[in-house]
Amino acid sequence: MSEGAMAVVKPEMKSYIWVQTTDGSIQQVEEEVAMFCPMICREIIQTGMGSSKNYAISLPQRVNPAIFGLVLDYCRFHQVPGRSNKERKMFDEKFIRMDTKKLCELTSAADSLQLKPLVDLTSRALARIIEGKTPEEIRETFHLPDDLTEEEKLEPLNNVTDDPRIRLLNRLYARKRKELKEREKLKNVEVEEEHVDERSVDDLLSFINGGNGDSKGIKTNKNKKKNRRRKDQLKDSSTNNLNGNHKEFNSLHSAFHNGGLNDIAVSTPHKTSKLQCSTAVTCSPKMEFDDGEIDDDLDPAMKEELDREVEDFARRLNSDWPQRMQEILSLGQDRRLVQVSMNGNCSSRRCTSLDSR
Amino acid sequence: MQMGDAAEDFISNLPQSILENILTRLPIGDAVGTCILSSKWRYKWATLTQLVFDENCVPISNDRVPVEKSLVKFITHALFLHQGPIHKFQLSTVHLQSCPDIDQWLLFLSRNDIRELVLELGEGEWFRVPSCLFNCRKLTRLELFRCEFDPPLTFTGFPCLRSLNLHQVLVAPEAIESLISSCPLLESLSLSYFDSLDLNICAPKLKYLYLEGEFKDIHLESTPLLVSMSIAMYMTDDIAEHFEQSSSCNFLKILGGVPHLEKLVGYIYFTKYLSIGDDPGRLPITYNHLKVIELYQVSFEDMKEILVVIRLITNSPNLKELHISGSSNTLAAIEAPDLDFWEKECHADCSFKQLKLVKMTDISGVPHEMELIKFLLSNSPVLEIMSITPCTFVTERKVNMLIELVRFIRASPRAEIIFIQN
Repeated sequence: MSEGAMAVVKPEMKSYIWVQTTDGSIQQVEEEVAMFCPMICREIIQTGMGSSKNYAISLPQRVNPAIFGLVLDYCRFHQVPGRSNKERKMFDEKFIRMDTKKLCELTSAADSLQLKPLVDLTSRALARIIEGKTPEEIRETFHLPDDLTEEEKLEPLNNVTDDPRIRLLNRLYARKRKELKEREKLKNVEVEEEHVDERSVDDLLSFINGGNGDSKGIKTNKNKKKNRRRKDQLKDSSTNNLNGNHKEFNSLHSAFHNGGLNDIAVSTPHKTSKLQCSTAVTCSPKMEFDDGEIDDDLDPAMKEELDREVEDFARRLNSDWPQRMQEILSLGQDRRLVQVSMNGNCSSRRCTSLDSR
Repeated sequence: MQMGDAAEDFISNLPQSILENILTRLPIGDAVGTCILSSKWRYKWATLTQLVFDENCVPISNDRVPVEKSLVKFITHALFLHQGPIHKFQLSTVHLQSCPDIDQWLLFLSRNDIRELVLELGEGEWFRVPSCLFNCRKLTRLELFRCEFDPPLTFTGFPCLRSLNLHQVLVAPEAIESLISSCPLLESLSLSYFDSLDLNICAPKLKYLYLEGEFKDIHLESTPLLVSMSIAMYMTDDIAEHFEQSSSCNFLKILGGVPHLEKLVGYIYFTKYLSIGDDPGRLPITYNHLKVIELYQVSFEDMKEILVVIRLITNSPNLKELHISGSSNTLAAIEAPDLDFWEKECHADCSFKQLKLVKMTDISGVPHEMELIKFLLSNSPVLEIMSITPCTFVTERKVNMLIELVRFIRASPRAEIIFIQN
């Protein structure tokens, strides 16, 4: 053995390697045991570390001291060449008897030390734990959060994010949440603001049809509030406009049936004179995506309302279009209307809620 | 809906490679089922590179049609939701035979870097392998059961194929030969249940050969690296006739070019096949690596077959294990006219220096069988076990067998003769 890169070999004693664990403490490990780990072996050979206390090899972050002890036990047993396969198997079977959490930590540690036999052993053990269990049991064993919606759980293999309806729901819900959150914020921040929206319809339309970014979204929310109020005043006359908007519904209809739509966004023809058209679209609160955390800010009443709207939408989306059309047309004036913008290029658009509260 | 404490969840944050390692060890139904565990697990299964499907993926039912439909639906959905390359696809089920969905799956796989493909289908109408399979250039392992295999004329072989297993596959004989010779990396070949096949094998890298079926002719033209061979030859009238007429030396046709052979197993008419043709005489080749010989259904009334056995074992200086099973209970075997053959052919100086284990099964106690046992016992200095299992319907001769056995000279002081009775 060369002197420089390796630990000093004393003829009577074993040679040791210095390693530093994640808690900062430095310890000595028998060289032959430590060399069983490819990662440590490589460190020693390539960088010459480990030969003294000052040059201790730092263990990867995923290897905490307790787990390192376990890994060493494993290495210590298996690095002895004379053992039979049966002995090794028996050792392995006893070795992996530990609680699930530790088993996961051990897998992670073995992986970062590149100790493949131990990774395979622990993976096998984890697979045995998972196999045959119900989802609830698995969640309990591994402390997994139960954060999927009932819909998602029921038909896991059908709920593809590529389904255009699901993506619409995603987007609508996300928007809805954002705006409800904003609403809360605004309520707290500002007192009732008497502000008449002086912008022209075209401005608003182009504003609605224009960007998709969050910044605009937030801006939109504020404006939406104003819009909403204005819309309230116009609400009574909205019925008259519904028929006029039939054309828009048709375009929505045909767009939907054109298949191959990645995003559903309904374009508001610029010819529409009033803003209040559109499909009554609501989002299901049960569709939880990355915006999960927003939920916590909403108060129960609003949440309930949200739920109802969304449920309604989900139901509608899943029923036939003609029926839906009927419903929409008949309910239009009673429900808060939500505007959905869509353009012919099928690029994604955001949903604007024109609710009044 | 609670968001679980991220620190609590101890498995979801393991590296994807480990999670895939774990998921691969689960039955595919359980692996796909992890998608409803939590939001992080939704698509963890979707990048698995090994997909193994069988009946257990879907709920059991006695009715064939619903099982078939739900299995097709499950596989189609799984493939549709899958992301990334698929290296291994295995489907083993009796519930599916030929159905158009399989074509679509194979098309999908052919576009996703498939490397190992195992298709084991049911007994009904055999599935006809679509042409997209022949475009899978990265294929390293192919196993087909009960299919029709018809390579297009433009097919130039699988350049990466290492293992080929065709079991009950309908394919033109020329197609098999050209398939074998056009797969330059082929190491393992298994062909079973072919009808009247005349097979010529040119596979320079071949190591493992398994043949079972009605073979008219087998010629290992170029298999210099062969390590293990297992051949079961069935007989039909055609083949029997063909055997009669053959004049070339079959022994050398199969065993003439395999100097690295380590294990040889022959069933049913294999020894007979080897015995046909001219006697090779002194063999040009010594099997220095041959450690295990298993020859079943050796017909001890046929001197030529016995000669094959003798030639083999005397040319394998490092033989460790020998299994021979007999199939003789005919009058001819009992008569045994050529007993002096043993003195003529078996030289006193031939010694099996490594032979430790001999198993003789289905022994009827006919003279030539006993002579073989005697020969082995007297020439195996390190023999440890000689185990003899008589045929079940041999009752009277057992005692005679034992009387003879007791007299045989044993070269090995440690040799145990174990006489197995059922």
